[in-house]
This record gives sequence, C-alpha cells and structure tokens, in this order.
Amino acid sequence: MDPKRRRILESTTKSCAQMVGDRSRNFNPGQPFIQCNTTNLCYGGKPEQTFPEFPLDTENQSLYQPEHEVKGANQFKPIPNVNNAILDWDPRLVLSNLSFLEQKIHQVQDIVRSISNQEGQFSNRANAMVAQQQLVTADLTSIIIQLISMAGSLLPSVKNTLVSTNPSVGHLGSIVGAQTSSGINGGQQQNEVMRMEVPKASAYDDLIEGFNGDGNEGSELINGLKSHGNEGDELIKCLKSSEGEGTESVPVEDHDVKDCDDGVDGENLPPGSYEVLQLEKEEILAPHTHFCTICGKGFKRDANLRMHMRGHGDEYKTPAALAKPNKEASSEPALIKRYSCPFVGCKRNKEHKKFQPLKTILCVKNHYKRSHCDKSFICSRCNTKKFSVIADLKTHEKHCGRDKWLCSCGTTFSRKDKLFGHVALFQGHTPILAVDETKVSGISDQVRGNEVMNGIVGSMDYNFAGSTLDDVQILNDRGVDDGRGCFSPMNFDACNFGGLDEFPRSAFEVSESSFSFLPSGSSGFIQRSGEN
Amino acid sequence: MLCSAGIPASTPSSASSTPSSPSPTSSLSRPEKRRKTAALFPNYSPGKVTTMRNPQPSDSILTVLPVDLLVQILDRLPDTGDRKSCRLVSRGFLRAEALRRRALRVLRREALPSLLRRYSFALESLDLSPCPALDDAALAAAVHTSGGLRTLKTLCLARATGIGWRGLEALLAACPRLEAVDLSYCVGVGDREAAALAAAGGLREVRLDKCLGITDVGLAKLAVGCPVIETLGIKWCMEISDLGIDLLSKKCRDLKVLDLSYLKVTNFCLQSISCLGKLEDLTMVGCSQISDEGLRFLKNGSNSLRSIDVSRCSNVSTLGLVSVIEGHKCLQKINAGDCFPELVPPFLTMLGDIRHTLKVLKIDGFHVSASSFWIIGMDCKHLEEIGLAKCKGVTDQCISELVTHCPGLRTVDLTCCHLVTDNALIAIADHCKRLECLLSESCSLISEKGLDRIGTCCSDLKEVDLTDCHINDTALKCLSRCSELTMLKLGLCPNISDKGLFHIGSNCRKLLELDLYRCTGATDGGLAAIAAGCKNLKKLNMCYCTQITDEGLKHLSCLKELLDLEMRGLVHITSAGIAAIAFGCRSLVELDVKRCYSVDDASLWALAQYSKNLRQINISYCPVTDMGLCKLLGTLRCLQDAKLVHLMRVSIEGYELALRASWDRLKKLKLLGGLRHFLSPGLLQMLKARGCRIRWVDKPLVLGV
Repeated sequence: MDPKRRRILESTTKSCAQMVGDRSRNFNPGQPFIQCNTTNLCYGGKPEQTFPEFPLDTENQSLYQPEHEVKGANQFKPIPNVNNAILDWDPRLVLSNLSFLEQKIHQVQDIVRSISNQEGQFSNRANAMVAQQQLVTADLTSIIIQLISMAGSLLPSVKNTLVSTNPSVGHLGSIVGAQTSSGINGGQQQNEVMRMEVPKASAYDDLIEGFNGDGNEGSELINGLKSHGNEGDELIKCLKSSEGEGTESVPVEDHDVKDCDDGVDGENLPPGSYEVLQLEKEEILAPHTHFCTICGKGFKRDANLRMHMRGHGDEYKTPAALAKPNKEASSEPALIKRYSCPFVGCKRNKEHKKFQPLKTILCVKNHYKRSHCDKSFICSRCNTKKFSVIADLKTHEKHCGRDKWLCSCGTTFSRKDKLFGHVALFQGHTPILAVDETKVSGISDQVRGNEVMNGIVGSMDYNFAGSTLDDVQILNDRGVDDGRGCFSPMNFDACNFGGLDEFPRSAFEVSESSFSFLPSGSSGFIQRSGEN
Repeated sequence: MLCSAGIPASTPSSASSTPSSPSPTSSLSRPEKRRKTAALFPNYSPGKVTTMRNPQPSDSILTVLPVDLLVQILDRLPDTGDRKSCRLVSRGFLRAEALRRRALRVLRREALPSLLRRYSFALESLDLSPCPALDDAALAAAVHTSGGLRTLKTLCLARATGIGWRGLEALLAACPRLEAVDLSYCVGVGDREAAALAAAGGLREVRLDKCLGITDVGLAKLAVGCPVIETLGIKWCMEISDLGIDLLSKKCRDLKVLDLSYLKVTNFCLQSISCLGKLEDLTMVGCSQISDEGLRFLKNGSNSLRSIDVSRCSNVSTLGLVSVIEGHKCLQKINAGDCFPELVPPFLTMLGDIRHTLKVLKIDGFHVSASSFWIIGMDCKHLEEIGLAKCKGVTDQCISELVTHCPGLRTVDLTCCHLVTDNALIAIADHCKRLECLLSESCSLISEKGLDRIGTCCSDLKEVDLTDCHINDTALKCLSRCSELTMLKLGLCPNISDKGLFHIGSNCRKLLELDLYRCTGATDGGLAAIAAGCKNLKKLNMCYCTQITDEGLKHLSCLKELLDLEMRGLVHITSAGIAAIAFGCRSLVELDVKRCYSVDDASLWALAQYSKNLRQINISYCPVTDMGLCKLLGTLRCLQDAKLVHLMRVSIEGYELALRASWDRLKKLKLLGGLRHFLSPGLLQMLKARGCRIRWVDKPLVLGV
C-alpha cells in the first residue's frame, strides 16, 4: 500500500474515532445534515437520518477542496427520499437504453479525439482553435443533453433491497440512494465527474476498510457503524469479485497484481479443461476496457466503473447494480477461462508446444507489455532502468538509488539476503562495504590516527620516567608539531581536522608503500573489484 | 624483561639473576646500539654463522663457540628465565636466541620494533595482547622495520583496542604464512578489519569474540577470503545474523570449531551449519532463539560433532539434545548447563548410545535424582568430567551412584550442591583415584573427615575449591597431602588460621593460586609460611584478611612470580608494605588495594618505580593525592586498567592531568559518575577515541570494611 493510501486510511480511522466522540452533536435529530462528496453529487439527508455517510464527509474534507461542499450545498437541494418507491423495471428496456447511451458516448469520444488532433495541428493559430473548441463544445452539449434525457428516463428504476433488513443500513441506503440526478447539468459538471471519479472510488474502498477496522466498539453508534461496515464488506466483495479472479484488493492500481503474470505456473490444469481466450493486441493495449455508458469515461476495472456509475443515479446504487455482473450467471457451472498471448511463438501463446495459459486479463496485459512491447518508461532517477508497465517503474522507483548492497563484481542489490545469495553462488565474489560507510570509517580512522599522533606528543610531555621512545615515534613527532595543542579541548578538535595532512606524510616516510594512511575509500574497492 | 616466551612471569626472575637489571631502559638500549653497529643476520644461514666471530675479544668461552652450538645449549635450557639470563650476558646467546626463538610476547610498545627486528627470523607466534598503547602507526612501523615476519603463524591481538584495519593490513601483508589471528575483545573492530583479515587468505583460526562492529558483511568477506578457515569464534558479535552464518557455512567447508555464543541467530542458521561435514565443536552459549527445532537439523545434518555446548539456551529442551545425540553417536562433550531443568528419561536413555565416547557432561542447574545418576553412571563409564553446579537434589547417594561406575572421573564440579556431605567425598575418593579437580564451593556440610579421605586417596589432585565450606585447619592439614595442588580456594573460611596455612605452605610447593578471601583467621605468620613454601605462587587473594600487616607483605615480597595480588580492605597495611611488594614482586601485573585506608602516595611512588609490568590497579578509597596519581599513571607504561573511585584527596585537576598522561594506554577506567561533568570533554573524547571504556559508578562514599 503506498503511503498516500495509508494516510488516507489513517485519516479515515481517525475521523471515525472523532465521530464517535462527537456523536451527541451528530446525532442531533433536529439538525439537517447535508452531505456531499467530491463529485458534487449532493447526498442530502432528511432530519431523521441520524447517521449519514460521515466518513465520506470527513474523507472528502481532508482530501479535497472544501468549496465542493459549499457549492454542493448551494447548488443542489435535497430531494425527497425515494426509498419506498419500489418500481418494476424492464431490464431489456434498460439494456437498449444503455446501448444507445454507449453509442452516444462513442460519438463524444470521437469529437474529443478530433479536438485533440486539431490541437496538435493548429497549435499556432489560436483563433482557429477557439473556433474549433466552440464547435466541439456545442456538439458535446447537444450530446450531453441527449444523454441526460436518456439517463432521466432510467431514473425511476430504483430498487432498494437493503431497506427491510437493517434500519441503519436503511439509513445508509437512503443516503446512497438520495436523488442526484439533477446534479448533472452541464459539461463542466461532467468534467468534474470524470476527474474525480477514480480517487473517489479508491477513497471509498479505504473508507470501508476504515469502518471494518473501527467497528469493534460497543456503543449503539458503533453498531450502526458496524452495520455500515457490513455493507462496506459487501461492497468490497463486489469490488473484489468484479476483478474477475479476485486477485486484488486494491482496485485502483496495478502494482500488486504483477505476480499473477506468472501465477499460473503453479496450477497444472490439464489442456482442454479450460477455455482459452485470446485478446487482440489492440484490445490488450487499450488503456481502458470498461466505459461508462453515460459519460464515456473509461475504466480499467469493472468495479471502478460500477463505483463510478453510482454517481449517475440511484439505479446504479442498488446492490444488484453494484454486484459483480457475472456472479448472477454463476449458478451454471462456468468453464474456467484462461488466456492466450496473441504473440505467436510466445510460450503464453496457445500455439506453443508447452503452452502455459495466463490466468486473467490483467496478466495478459502485463505479460504482453513486459514481453512484447517497448520499455518506454525510464526511471528518472537512474536513467537506466526501463519498464513497459508503469507499475513496475513505480515499484522500481521506490527502491531506486537504495541499492546499498554491493558485490565485488559490481552488481548492486537492494536487499542483503539477495546479495548474500549472489555471493554464495559465485566463487570469489565478495560483498563490498557500503560506500558511505567506508567514507565514514575512513574519516574516523583519520581522526583516530591524528589522535594517536597527538597522544605520542602528549605522552612525551608526561613521560615522568623519561624512558626512550624509538625512532619512529620521534619521527612522527617531528611530523606533527602542532599536536602539542591537544591538551585543550578546542585544540583537540582543531587537530582532528587541521592536522590531517601531516600525518600520512610522516607515515609514508616511515613505512614506504606497505602502509598507507590515505583513506583508500571507494577507489580501493573499485580496484579490487576490477581484479575480480 | 621486555619480552618473554610463554608467560610474562618468567621475566622478573631472570631479571633478578642479571647483575644490572633494575632499569629497563638501559637493558634495552644496549642491544639497541649493538643492532645499529652490526646489522644482524637478516639472511642468516648456518654455514655463515660458523665462521662468524664476535668482533670484540672476550674472555668468555661462549664467544668462541659457533652459534649453532649455542642454539643447542639454549635448547637444553628448559626455564625461560635461565635462557633470558644467558642472552643478557652473552651476545652469542642473543644471536642464538634470535635464530631459534619461536614465540614472542611483547610487553612494551617501545620495544616492539627492536624485538621484531631481532626475532623475525624464526618467529612463529607473536602475542601483542599485553602491549599497551599499541596503535596502527607503531605496529606498522615496527613491522616495516622488521623486514617481514615470514614464518609467523599465530598472532594474538586480543584487547588491542588501538589496532584498526590499517595496522592489520600492514601486519598481515608482512606475514604471508599467518594461520591464526586472535582479535578478541577489540571492541572497535568492524567490517574493515574483517576485510583486512580476509586479505590474508590462508587463515585457519580466527577469534573475533566481542568485535562489536563486525556485521554479516564482514563475516562474508572473511568467509570468502579465507575459505580454509577451521576455527572461528564470533561470540558476542551481536551484528551477525543468520545470513552471515549461512554464507559462512557455504563458503568455509573445512570449519571444525565454531563458537556462536550469544548471537541473535535462529534455527535457520543451524540448518546451514548442519551441512558442515567437518564440524566437530559447536558452541552456542546463550543463543535464546535456538530451539529444539534447530537442533533437529543437526540430527539430520552431516556434521561430525564431538562437542556441543547449548548452555543457557533458554529455548532448548531435552528433546532437542536427544535429537543431537541421535545424529551424532561420537559425541564426547555435552554442555547443557542452565538450559532446561529436568533430566527426563529419553535423554538418559540416549546417553547410553554415546556411552563409549562421552567424556564431559555438564548439566548445571538441573533437577536430578539418585536414579538418574545411577543411569548416567551405568551408561557413561568413560566420563572424565561431570558438572553439577547448582543442581537441585544432588545427595550423597547420587554421587556414590555416579562414581562407583565412573572411575575415570577427573573433574567433579559440585558447586552449590548444598546437600552433599563427607560421605560423597569419601565415595569420590574411594573410586576416582585420578581426581584432579574438585569444585565444592558452598558445600557447607563437608568437613575434614571427607577431605582426609580425598587427601589420602587422590594424590593427583590439582585444583580444589572449598570456598564457603567452613573448613578448619585440620582439613587443610589433610588436604596438604596432595602435593600436586596448584589451585586452592579457601574463601570465606574464617576458621582457617596460620596453622593450616603452614601445612599448605610446607607441603604444596607447586601452588600457583591461593584464595584466602575473608579468611579472617589468617595473619602474617601464615603468609610467611606460604611465601616460604609456595615460591611459584602467581595469584594470591587475601581481601579482608584484616589481621594482615606490613610484616606479612614483607614476607610475600619474596614471591618473584606473583602476578596478581588482591588485598582489599587490609586496613593495617601501609605504604611500607606496598613498597616492599613493589620492590620484591617485580612481575606484578594486577594489584588491588581498594579500601586500604593507610595506603598513600608513597606506595604509588614505589609502584611507579618498580612495578613496570603493572597492568591493572585498583586504588579506590585510598588516601592518595594528585601527585601520587599523576606519577603512577604517568610512569607505568603498561597500565591499562585503573579503578579510581572515591579518591578523596585527588582534585579534578589531578584526575585531568593523570588521565592525560596515560590516555593512550588506558583501556578500562572506573571513575565516580560525578566526574563526568567535571573532566574536560576533550579528554573524555580522546579516551573514547582510543577505545578506552569508562565505567561511571555512582556509589555513595561509605568508609569501613
């Protein structure tokens, strides 16, 4: 978990605790409680809604600008709850509506793409660009209006199944289900939705975790919290299951899934016991695979898309809508799906003799990028390491420059055990003392050496018996005339640094090449490594 | 007097036999000058020497003898002191000694260059551990002037805290055949020093006890650099972990002896160690993270263990030891002291499997019973040493069960077995005729009856510890029949009087160590008897024998070999007594006169004048002044450990001056905690930089004994 996420989590739990402390205030039944989140969708609560989505609230305050809240409060009026309005709805109708929306979104995408192309072409001509933009904005607006009308037709199809089970969950459900449709009223609004969607999803996930972590205290409030957390669990389940293979608990980043690329090696599925799917190259390299049918925003994960969809209306907030879609169909025994790499000749390609299938689509993507694509991400710190998967780069950047474990062969390691394994493997290789460590010890040894010299002078001063010193000491003594000052602390310090140069020279006179007081430091090591 | 082979004690005796020995500098300068005038055989060959004549005519017959004959003569002189006398009077012997000298122990830094130059021809063993104020520069210069120590095999630098990697590199470069290095207790030694050692690839034995700076990396360098290493001691090297041990056991396949005591290693390292096929001796004292699971690796491993020491491993139980025995049927030595309290049947039955080989069994702190001893006795008939210190339940019956079947026992440790009585001693005496060492501290039920039998039957007895046994003069008389006694501890036996000591003094002439701690019955007369009889005494403890006066010390002053003298709390002795000791016992290395309230500056002057070899001194609570302290610390070139607590007449300036005069050789210092704030920071920094450890004590001043 990266630090940012951790921080979010901490702030969440903290805010939970704070909430517990302030419950009397929060539980004031007569006080209207207005909630909003970053997407500017106002979750308006009725007075009796004693326990609104406080974590979202605090979360968003800590994460984002508070003006959202203000704006939300001003712009959107709380709309009466529609919990109890259980309306039948036709899935087919919805489906057709959705597919229509999808087409519309593709149109929007095309337009935006044309904008970006034109920007590239006419970057110098500002007037032309403005004209283009105006044109596109007009197109967008018309499409959006269409979209909104379409979305409005979908609105009444809200089904809340949670209401009956648990009162507090019911509250939550009512909050989640609070009307927001009027919130979407312009291109600016939509842009904001698009911008905010991803962080929101991750934050939500964190919130839920925060709930789970905090849900053990005994008060009534906490019970509410807990039940809230239960729903959170469900949500998490949805999120996880929506990942397809359930390999990842963090839905936003790809980092932790890397290993699943090779994860299939362990399982020995007999050939034919699974269905092999092969995605095309373009499909694999497409940045997003899941697109919002309303606004067209693309997502890497279905779960994120579903999280996003909640912002488009109540009908997306039902457990059914949030649940993993293919879970419903899981009643029939599903054939295990495995994936093949489209690159012919690859071991992961189904044509290969020793074909090893890939487990998930994510594995396919990572594998294809790592094995068959250019490594376009270069570490900005070392400028040498290249990666094709950005998550790999991020992982590397965490450790880049911290390879303090060196082998005499010049290989660097970030971990001691890796270095030792390497040293154990190769004859004659030996670890090298860390460079900075060498420097430090070199300095301290110099200091020590000077003190030694001072000490010789000092001991002569106090040589009551007058015993003879051998030639070497006298010679050294000549070398460090200023060593006499070592009897005051100030001079002692000065000697450490002032007398550095004299000592080595005198030592050289005595011992020629066999004994060098010069701090060999890293140069010596380079030399040694060269020998090896 | 500047060097000695083997033990330093030999130096003063020889010094006394030479006519002009009191001043060490004069005796040093003479050979020094000789060296400068005539360059001595760096490339000696016997053929040359036979034709070589002493340039100066002398009436001595020695001058006409060729050097090889002198070597033969020297070889026939067993006593190092006699050899020293020879080389002090004859230049020919000096040369002969230079050709045949194998071992050197340097006591003064000043003498190091000339000694190395003179003896570099055949020197195999060099001990620099007692050499004070030794540092990189001095060592490197001395090695350089010696022109290389091509034959040196063993090097001891224990406690040489001033030595760093530069000095080591210079030294090792000059000693191509070095096989063994001892750097124990050089607390400043770290990875760089280990790397310097690794550069001398042929090392077979390395001791690095308490080299606190050594980490896995240093160990790895050593392991890679010295693959033929056979003996390695890394006790107390707290930075070393499993990783380092793992690499060590992969690289050094010849490892035979390994000491991992007190390391924070886990069972994983035992898994690596279990692959060392030649490992014979494994010591793991106080490795609390080692458990039975780890010892099970040893069971299945390929070691050829002869000795295992798991004492104080708190997580090791009988089962672990059983599994070790299962895997190694040739175990000779087991030390399981203080690790698990119960002697359970599986362990005892397993002992039967190694009945033919087991020689040493130490089970300190166990709960034992007569039946278990019966099993041990039946099984391990070849037992030579049994350690039962602090065992609960050791009775006379236990001992007799054990000894009836183990006639070969030589060492019996019954320390703190409070239930043991004379009957046990009688059983031991009747069965173990070859007993050499009997340790029965705090066995307060034993008396002259048992010791009488011991004295009669065990004529080989060498070491006896009767501390806190409340024995009397009669017991000593019985014991004095053991004329081979070298160590006798009689601490806390107030019933002993001069009569008993007279028996010891007159019969135990080989005594080397005598402990009379708080034997308040002992007086000057007893000391006179001891001093007259035990001429070789090296260590004498007579703390709090309050009846002793200067008279007794004068008797002791004839003990030329005395190294260690402890006389705390002897309130009647004065500087005159100390002066007599200082003048007589020239080889004194350690002196403790704490709480001798009449010992003043005069004694310190005498010590400064005569006790040139003094290395440790404790003058706490003595009424000495600035002058005495400065003189003492400034003059004694060998002093390395000084305890200077509560010197009431010494001023801050006195401390400051005295410490500044001796900072380069002091390695340990004990001072009153309050001084920390008064001594100049520069001084403390200097001391610390030199590796001196200062122990600050905060004791209130309480006078009295």
